[in-house]
Amino acid sequence: MDAFGSLLGGFGTALQPTNLVFLLAGVLLGLIIGVLPGLGGTSGVAILLPISVFIARDNSATTAIIFLAGIYWGALFGGVITSILFNIPGEPWAVALLFDGYPLARRRGKPGVALASSFVASWVGAFFATILLTFLAKTIADIALQFGPADLFAIFVLSFATLIGLGAESPIKAVMMVAFGLLLAAVGFDRITGEPRLTFGQVELLNGIGFVPVTIGLFGIGEVIAANEEAAIGAAGAIAAKVGLKDLLETLAALKQRFLLVAANGIIGFFFGSLPGHGATAGSFLGYGLARQWSKNKEEFGKGEISGIMAPQAAADASAVGAMVPLLSLGVPGSPTGAVLMAGLFIWGLVPGPLLFIQHPEFVWGFIASIYVGHFLTFLITLTAVPLLALIMRVPHGVLTPLIIIISVIGSYTLNNSMLDVAITIVAGVVGYWLRKMKYPLAPLVVAVVLGNATEVELRRALIGSSGQWTVFFTSPASAVFLAIAALLLAWPFIGKALQVRRVSAAPPAAAK
Amino acid sequence: MRPYQTATAVIFVLIAAVAMFDSRAGALPDPTGLVPGGLRAGWFPFWAATIVALAGLVATVRALTTAQPAEGAFTDRRQIVDLAKFVVPMALVGWLMSPGLLGFYIASGLYLGYYAGVVARYRWYYALASGIVIPVLIYLSFELAFSALLPKSFLYPTLPF
Repeated sequence: MDAFGSLLGGFGTALQPTNLVFLLAGVLLGLIIGVLPGLGGTSGVAILLPISVFIARDNSATTAIIFLAGIYWGALFGGVITSILFNIPGEPWAVALLFDGYPLARRRGKPGVALASSFVASWVGAFFATILLTFLAKTIADIALQFGPADLFAIFVLSFATLIGLGAESPIKAVMMVAFGLLLAAVGFDRITGEPRLTFGQVELLNGIGFVPVTIGLFGIGEVIAANEEAAIGAAGAIAAKVGLKDLLETLAALKQRFLLVAANGIIGFFFGSLPGHGATAGSFLGYGLARQWSKNKEEFGKGEISGIMAPQAAADASAVGAMVPLLSLGVPGSPTGAVLMAGLFIWGLVPGPLLFIQHPEFVWGFIASIYVGHFLTFLITLTAVPLLALIMRVPHGVLTPLIIIISVIGSYTLNNSMLDVAITIVAGVVGYWLRKMKYPLAPLVVAVVLGNATEVELRRALIGSSGQWTVFFTSPASAVFLAIAALLLAWPFIGKALQVRRVSAAPPAAAK
Repeated sequence: MRPYQTATAVIFVLIAAVAMFDSRAGALPDPTGLVPGGLRAGWFPFWAATIVALAGLVATVRALTTAQPAEGAFTDRRQIVDLAKFVVPMALVGWLMSPGLLGFYIASGLYLGYYAGVVARYRWYYALASGIVIPVLIYLSFELAFSALLPKSFLYPTLPF
């Protein structure tokens, strides 16, 4: 039980007082961010990323990642509170909880049960997912250690292909976003020859366009501008609620009947989340669909069925944990939030990827152990603090909105003390707002900006190793397999569409309706 | 939505075209065998830009030929004004906070006050409080606790910010 021993060591790290304090701080901040409409977990992590630099400087990178990831776990729980009590999703992944969470709270008058169901499911789903993470991440990293540059390049291509092929938005727009991200990453000195590229004579651009200011802009500022536009957020249908012991007991009884469903959703969510590009949002919709599919009383869905709360929440939280697998073992972010966490690793001086397990085992295992602790902490806090958290909805937006912008600006400035970074952040914010409006997916853009340099370097390294022979990508079995899957994924949207057209034209007109 | 979608896609095509032009020297693999691996500095950006351009052209054609929602990107003129009220001061603050101009603390204080007072229409004393209290808190936490130095104004070092 190699992983088990390492995990115990990890708990030793995660339970150190400093780490616990920062985990608690992260989780609380995450809960607040999750409750605030218009500020998501990804934005929260992005905005606070620079603060983690100080934490890493004064303590260690382990403390910094525990803090940052804590924000993510907190936001996962926090987003559901507004969904259930206010009928406003605090987070995109909490949308699936509107279908049954709000009806259960409102029409059936059981807000406590609705909340407790989602918290319990979150925790159970994440628990199963974290166990899988514990035992799988190291195994995958061990395999990845054998990979050469060609294989690594193929993995990057594969992750871009999943972002495009399995994404919800238009695949053409996703292709554009990936390529544009790679282009942005190429600005500045060429990593291999040192030639300046795409700088148009600007000395400031020689160091390239940093992914941190871009991410803070796209997610922090962009989301605030978008939220500002939809400002009509009222607490009109708000329900006052707290989770009592009776609610908890009723929920546990409900969980007993649905344990298989919740566990299965946790496991499915985990594997779904470990595919690059799929964070909690897709996971929660998948979970809701599965719960409906499997349920015997489908007509109860949409009216306050507990399975309709537990399944998506378990899957959402599990896929958030699953997204850590490619991040830790391959150095590929599994979700936009993963991309931000990975940016953090770079800044703290760590190189994400399989070598982490060998060079910085205390970091990896401390982080994994903190996922167990973090979810448990969040679970306890949410059970007791719902009324307090619901109050956060009343923070005046006239103070909050400019504050978020100012913190984003501080974040992008302090990283390199560069006014150029501030400008990039603001421009990226406006661009991010517009791209959201035009329905361009941002996840492929962010992942490509973060992975761009590594992708190019591995490609050219592979070619240098093979003296310019492109066959190297097909003679290595791993690379050949990854590229074949990537090609299939890229073709998938078009195959899917062709099949759909055939089905529709083959079906009789009445059935097609 | 059609004009907005079309314009967005066209802008990407134009940006990509500029990038392709800039990195055209390295577009093709080096035939002489002198460059290690055969790819010059311009190869990667050139082809990334080419993909942006091609996908952008497809998106442009799609925006022109497929059904689009009738409403525009904004519901009415007021939404555009609201957006401008938000974005223009933000960009202005980003510039004014440069060292030697207003610096971070004065610029952010003005912005907080402006937002609370003008955009959110709070009473003037709330706006004033927001513009003073928050920068002070940021000064205490960043400048003193984290020792992270933010840009100072033209009044520095006469004043500490």
